[in-house]
Order: sequence, then structure tokens, then C-alpha cells
Amino acid sequence: MKELILKDSEYEIKRGKIVRTKMMTEQEKLFEIVLPGGDNLDHDPGQFVEVSILGAGEAPISIASSPTKRDSFELVVRNVGRVTGALHKLETGDEVGIRGPFGKGFPVRILEGNDLLFVAAGLGLVPLRSLINFVIDNRRDFGKVTVLLGCKTPDNMLFGDELESWRKRLDVNLNCTVDKADPEWKGNVGLITSLIPGVTLKPKRTFAVVVGPPIMYKFVIQELLKKEIPDRQILVSLERHMKCGLGKCGHCQINGIYCCQEGPVLSYDRIKSIPEAL
Amino acid sequence: MKKTHIATLKKERFDDFISALARLQKVVAPVARGNGQFAFEPVVSGNEIALDYIPTILPPKKYFLPQHETLATFDTTKGQQMEPVVAYEKMVIFGVHTCDLAGIQSLNMIFSERPKDVNYLIRKSAITIIGYECNDYCDEYASCRLVHNHTPNGGYDLFFTNLGDKFIIHINTQAGDDIIESAGLFEPAQAADLKALEQLRSDKRKLFANEVPVVHENIPEVFAKSFNSKVWEDLGKKCLACGNCTNVCPTCYCFDVIDEPNLDLKTGKRYRRWDSCQSETFAQVAGGESFREERGARQRHRFYRKFKYPMNKFSRLFCTGCGRCSRTCMAKINLKETLTQLVKEQAMTDLKAGNQ
Amino acid sequence: MAKPKVAFFDFACCEGCQLQVANMGELLFDVLGAIDVVEFREVMSEKGPDKIDVAIVEGSITTPHAVEKIKKIRERASVLIAYGSCATIGGVNGMKNNFKLDDIRKEVYGKDAKYFETIETMSVPQVVKVDYLVNGCPVYLPEFVKVLKAALAGLPYQVPDYSVCVECKLNENVCMYQKGVTCLGPVTKAGCNSWCINNGNICYGCRGMVSNPNEKGAKDVLEKYNIPMDLIVNKMNMYNKCREIDQREQKKR
Ligand SMILES: Cc1cc2nc3c(=O)[nH]c(=O)nc-3n(C[C@H](O)[C@H](O)[C@H](O)COP(=O)(O)OP(=O)(O)OC[C@H]3O[C@@H](n4cnc5c(N)ncnc54)[C@H](O)[C@@H]3O)c2cc1C
Ligand code: SF4
Ligand code: SF4
Ligand code: SF4
Ligand code: SF4
Ligand code: FES
Repeated sequence: MKELILKDSEYEIKRGKIVRTKMMTEQEKLFEIVLPGGDNLDHDPGQFVEVSILGAGEAPISIASSPTKRDSFELVVRNVGRVTGALHKLETGDEVGIRGPFGKGFPVRILEGNDLLFVAAGLGLVPLRSLINFVIDNRRDFGKVTVLLGCKTPDNMLFGDELESWRKRLDVNLNCTVDKADPEWKGNVGLITSLIPGVTLKPKRTFAVVVGPPIMYKFVIQELLKKEIPDRQILVSLERHMKCGLGKCGHCQINGIYCCQEGPVLSYDRIKSIPEAL
Repeated sequence: MKKTHIATLKKERFDDFISALARLQKVVAPVARGNGQFAFEPVVSGNEIALDYIPTILPPKKYFLPQHETLATFDTTKGQQMEPVVAYEKMVIFGVHTCDLAGIQSLNMIFSERPKDVNYLIRKSAITIIGYECNDYCDEYASCRLVHNHTPNGGYDLFFTNLGDKFIIHINTQAGDDIIESAGLFEPAQAADLKALEQLRSDKRKLFANEVPVVHENIPEVFAKSFNSKVWEDLGKKCLACGNCTNVCPTCYCFDVIDEPNLDLKTGKRYRRWDSCQSETFAQVAGGESFREERGARQRHRFYRKFKYPMNKFSRLFCTGCGRCSRTCMAKINLKETLTQLVKEQAMTDLKAGNQ
Repeated sequence: MAKPKVAFFDFACCEGCQLQVANMGELLFDVLGAIDVVEFREVMSEKGPDKIDVAIVEGSITTPHAVEKIKKIRERASVLIAYGSCATIGGVNGMKNNFKLDDIRKEVYGKDAKYFETIETMSVPQVVKVDYLVNGCPVYLPEFVKVLKAALAGLPYQVPDYSVCVECKLNENVCMYQKGVTCLGPVTKAGCNSWCINNGNICYGCRGMVSNPNEKGAKDVLEKYNIPMDLIVNKMNMYNKCREIDQREQKKR
């Protein structure tokens, strides 16, 4: 048996350095990461990386920052298990392994010139934030921008400060809702679907971008269809169990497609004929 | 077939051939394991080889994609430092049936598709394949005739056919020719040998029957319409989700990636291990949601990965007809029966639709 | 960094699992190089320090006294590892739950039965919070070491929730069903590297059932192979009886 060190393995990791961390909620922590030599990650909004802590393993995590932020990128990680738990113990100065970016992100070129309706629930705001900030940084290139956000309780709301800055902008309409309010909450209470009927939009020139937990999609898409947004202008990002990110290990498969390669971003037009998608 | 590409080997020289080959490099071949079971194992002489064998417990994929394979070694003393590695071995696999040749061809497609899997490709390039023809139908589980794998469709360096007192060998590659040349045991084929081969193949056409009421070309159509079939539900009731059917399948290649630190907790390895879409946790994500929660949906997934999805992508069925999945299932879920049920069910539906 | 303090404790069991550790050979030295054993075998003696990093507990909980003891251990230990089938799933001791408690007392202690208190057999996680489970009767050492490493690294360890068959096939064993013998592999949690089958025995299900076994399907299989139902119920009961307590609790919720 011969052993060879590989120079061109897809499993090679880059050594990312954590330059900033922030607890966002009890469960979610933000990491700002710099690649060796200050390299640009060169991602599209909506793509993900495989983050590894050698000894614990690897986990797919969405890139939370816009590609317009060039020297570093951000991840937001919810502590649910082995890898994510180990990640939560890391602080500024520690290293993480990075593979990727992987998958197909949001088709920004196609979105240009159109109105955008963002719908995010829970952790879904993380991948969506990469696109929202991209749009804000290139605001001229896009039409009307509406952001609808939902989460369980107000202290579960991610990126509170940033939401405030979006809210203050003239060129962004932001609307939030929570399942359960606290005394200080001034926004809506109820499911995210309840916000959609109130939005005025021109369906032909609107792209809806939806990201949230698996159960949310069906209901939100129903509402969007009622608004007569064409199927191919409804974009979703699907979460699946992923291991390799390379279209090989099979974990992420939705019927015939490998979500890690052809997704995670897919149009409703594409997935409505894929029974396992929603 | 060009005559220069054909050689013969007398039966009495077979043992010498394998012994000579095994002195030069590792040779693996089917050997008997008792209870009518066989496995590919290293051999040093021809006598150890079970020439009359039915498909081995595990297919030869174990040499291309080992059950456990180290992808990288790591040392975190100075940060996230890892080295991707591949372990490989020069070897000859002797006695690969035509169904398993098709299995290897399928895996080749998967792992050469971008992003390429260098580990697989390096290992593949170190392996020489010697095929071996089945002169008879293995058993009631085999369905190689249905998928046209009962005769060779390439994918080997040398291919042996048993003609009784001698083997007739198709030399398909330079690597194959080198083996023939260096052995010095082979003879040129005579016209009579070629005739015998032709006769054998034509006999096989009668001997190998397709027992499933559908032809190869129509299989994709059957699956195009069966996603919501009740057949899957029924399979789900029987299936124990043990994962045997996928692990023994020559064209199942799903895997898990796992880190194993050493006791110093600093060094260790990252490895991959065969995984099965039949197991409960395969498609589960954080939050507990599983995208194929029902056993029936997982069985359906297995069949679709053989008969539908690869057809769309590679224009190729990924079922080789080896019959391993049916042979190994303690719940007696049978691939041929399942296909038959799907076809019959559809005929019924079509009939009803026609009557309306 | 100081080596973590590790203590072993035992409850109702055959101590076979501790024997396994003693039989570890080479590996034992590696393990001992990484930890500092502060207490072995003695339950609740004054010997060990108040605080221990890792408590490794063997055996099931069968008396009120044991309930108190395990609670104290839990208080002392930062990490608690339940180890062996008796501790993790109640194991063979769970067979006691097939009978009425009074009957057992009479059977075991005769006319003195009224002086002996006994309770339904429980696994350790049915009494206190357990951080790690090492299933098996006896434990499979490479898995025990794996869990120990996870505990020392502060990482969770997931007992595989797929069948023993998976490992058995990866080891390319001739399946027991091919030999016409029944085997509990298909409904039993993997992690033991199918070592019983590797060594020519069947799987007795000592690691407990997978979380969602197809029990109806399994019964059908046994019928197909003409295996009397009683035989298999007995086999399953042998290790899996305490599962009923969990099922009962689940129903209550
Ligand atoms: C495209 C994509 C983007 C994601 N983006 C984010 C993100 O931005 N932030 C975030 O916190 N999480 C994100 N996730 C989810 C995250 O990958 C999982 O929570 C993580 O892999 C769990 O790993 P673990 O080792 O911590 O958990 P484990 O200890 O392995 O298991 C805990 C639970 O997570 C499930 N799980 C395990 N591995 C995976 C996996 N590879 N993919 C999905 N579920 C898994 C298990 O089935 C189990 O239910 C994303 C997932 C995908 C597929
Ligand atoms: S071998 Fe049979 S019982 Fe096992 S997973 Fe496959 S179909 Fe189900
Ligand atoms: S599906 Fe069954 S018959 Fe077909 S290749 Fe796989 S194991 Fe062989
Ligand atoms: S011997 Fe037992 S564990 Fe192994 S494959 Fe057969 S049923 Fe499964
Ligand atoms: S094979 Fe079965 S009985 Fe043997 S150790 Fe594993 S789970 Fe226990
Ligand atoms: S994550 Fe491995 S195939 Fe998609």
C-alpha cells in the first residue's frame, strides 16, 4: 500500500483566521473570518462554505456577508451539535478550516433591474443577508426593495442594528413579525405569511427570494402565487444534510439533483416538478 | 474482433498464470466463503479461485472506493493543519463478471465528473481488470439480461471466457497485452476457438432470459410514472432499513465523512465511510427534519437512483443486474418482483385510462 | 495541562465491562497516558476527590440505595459516561421487569423477602442525566476509547442510529440469514463493528434497538424464516426490556 500526499484534493482546507466574534442570540454566534494572505473568498450571495474544525468535523454554513465586503467574510452559526458546538467555543485569533464556496447562489445578474421581495424566517436571514447587503451596496442596479422578516421572539431577531439601518433607508421597505411579542415589541405579531397580502407589488417585474425553515416554504409560496408572481421569479434556498459539497456523498440529494451543486438556490419553476423538494 | 486481439490459455496453465502474476503484483479474485457465498480476496495461485461463482458479497467497488478511506491526516498543534492523502495499491482484479464491469464503469462516470475525486481516480489507475464471462445464469435474483449486461460491454483490460479445455481471452488494452506478453503462457486463437466463442454467445441468448415484463428501453418510462405508486408503501412495510441492499450494490457510492482524533486529541484523520440512504439519519438535518422519513420513500429513492436519475444524467441505468440487493435482503424485497409489480400496476392504470 | 481525573463506578452488573478495560492490552497504556484514574470499583468511598472530571458508570439501577448513590456521583462528576448495556439500556437486568416485583423478591430472597426493597430495573439515563453512552454487553473497546476521546475533547458522541448490518456488510461477513440463522443485527444500533458476527456468533441486540425499528417488518422476517416468535421475543427482551419504561413515559407526555 502506497500513500501519497495530494496537491489537488477537493478535501483540502484553507486556514481561515477568526478576526471577530459576536454572540447574536443565546444560540447564534457570528464569526468574521480572513483567509490566508487576505485572499478574497470570491463567492456569490447565497453560496455556502464547508467549515471544519479538525477532530470535530465539517459543517455546511451559509456565507452571511456580501461579496462587496472583500477582505473578510462572515458566518452565523447556530449551536446544534458536534461541529457547531466546537465552533461556538472559538474566539478571535483561533483558526477554522474553510472549503468552498460551494453551490449555486442567487442569480444577481438576472435580478438586476427588477423589484425584489425578500422573505426570511429564522436562520434564513443569514444567507439572505449576503444578498440584501449586495443589493444595498449596488442599490442603483435594482428596483423596489421590500424585506419581510419573521422570527419566534424579538430577542431571536438576528442583526438587530443592521435591521435598524435598513429600516432608516429611503430605498428599503422593511417589515418584521414575531410569533410571540415581548412588552417592548412594536412590530407585527403572527406568522410571516400574514405580511405578504399587505405588500403592493408589480408581479411581472418582481422577484421573490424566500429563505427559512423547511416547513415555511409551502405556505409562503402559496401567498406569493396569489400575488401572481411567476413561478420562475420565486427563488428559494433549500437546506439539506450535506457532507462533501461535491455532488458525490449523496446526503443532499433531492430526487435527481444534488442540492450542494445545483442548489441551494433554486427557482420554484424548477422545484415544483421535484416532489421531494418542499 | 481483430484476431491479434485474441489469445487462448490452456486450462492446465491457468494456475501457472495466476501464480506468475501474483509474484509480480497483488492479485485479488473470487474465493468461496461457504454457504454458497463468495468474496474477492487476495490469492497467490489459481487453485484458490472459485471460477464458478455467483456475485460476491461485496462487489469489486471495495477496491475503488474502500469501505473506510482516509482523506486527510491532521495536526492541530499549530492551527488547522491538514494534509490530503490517498492510499493506493497496484493490483489485478481477476474474474470480474460482466455485471460488475458495468458497475465499475458507472462509478468511473461519477468520480470523474467534476469536481473530480482524485482519490478514486488515482486508485483506479493502479488497478488492472480481468473480466470473466458467465456461461450460465447465476440464480433467480440476477437480472443482467434485462439491463443487457449478460455479455461484455468493455471496461476491462483482459476478458476471459471459459471454453471448456481452454480460456479464450479478449485483449482490450495495452496493459492487458503486457500481461499476456510477459506471462509467455498464451497462444494465438485459432478459427475454431473464435467459432466456439460465437456459439457460446448465441447459446447464451437462449439461456439468459429476461424475466421482467419490460424491455430495457422502456424502463425509464415505467419510473417516470411510478413515483406515487403503492408499491413503495408496501416495500416500506417490509423493509428493516438495514442498509444491506445499498452496501452490496456495485453502483451505490454514498458516503459519510468523519473525523477521528487520536488520544492526544491533536493529531488524527478525516476519513470517509460507506453510508446508506436506507438509514434513518441519512437525510436528517438539524431540527430533526428528515427528508425521507418513510422507509418506503427511502426504498423508492434507491430504485430511482438505479433506474431513473442516472438515466437523465448519464443516459445509463445504474442497475447492473447483479442481483445482490435481492440476494442479501432478509425481508425478501426482490428487485425483479418490484419491477414486475410496477409494470403490472401501470398496465392496470393504462387499461383503466383507456376504458374511460 | 493536568490530566483529567477519571473514576469508575459499578452497579448491578457482571463487571464484564470492567474486565474488558483490564483486557485492553496496548491500548490501555495509551489511555492511561491520557487520563488519571482516581477511583476504580469502590462505590462512594471517601477515597476519591470530591470533584472528578469523568465518571464512568457501569451497571443498572435496581435499589433505592443505588438511586441515591448514582445521584451523588452525578453531583461529583463534570462528565458522566454510562458504560455497558446494563447502564445504558438496563441490559440483562431488565429481564426482571418481566415479572411482578413481589414475585422476584420471593423468588430471590424466599420468606425474607419483606426485608428487601427492590425497584423496577432502570438504566442510568432513566435516573440521572448522562453525557455519553457506551452501549454493548460487554462494551466494544474501540468505541469506548472513541467516547473517552470525545469526552476529553468536550465533543458530543452520537451512538450510531443505523443497524449492525451496516458494519457487518462493510466487514463482508456471510450473513446469518444466508446460513438460515436468525440475527438481531437489522434492528440493533451499530457501533460494535459487528464483532459478534465477525467472530461467528449472531447479534443478540446487546446495544439496544435503533430509534425507529420496523418491529412489524422484523416479525414478518422471522416468520418467513420459520423462527418461533417466543424465541425472538426472549432474545429482544434479554437486553431491551427497559425500553418499555421510556415508552410508558412517552405515552404519559
Ligand atoms: C446549505 C446549508 C447552509 C447552512 N447554513 C447554516 C448557517 O448559516 N448557520 C447555521 O448555524 N447552520 C447552517 N446550516 C446547518 C448546519 O450545516 C448544521 O446545523 C450542521 O451541519 C450541524 O452539524 P453539527 O456537527 O453541529 O451537528 P451534529 O452533531 O452532526 O448533528 C446535529 C443535527 O444536525 C443534523 N446534521 C448533521 N450534519 C448535518 C449537515 N451536514 N447538514 C445539515 N444537517 C446536519 C443531524 O442530522 C442532527 O439532527 C446550513 C446547512 C446547509 C445545508
Ligand atoms: S436489504 Fe432489505 S431490509 Fe435491508 S434496507 Fe435493503 S430492502 Fe430494506
Ligand atoms: S440494484 Fe441490486 S441488482 Fe441492481 S446493481 Fe444494485 S445490487 Fe445489483
Ligand atoms: S449477519 Fe446479522 S448483522 Fe450481519 S448482515 Fe446478516 S442480519 Fe445483519
Ligand atoms: S453484534 Fe450485536 S450482540 Fe454483538 S456486540 Fe454488536 S450489538 Fe451486541
Ligand atoms: S453534500 Fe455530498 S453530494 Fe451534496
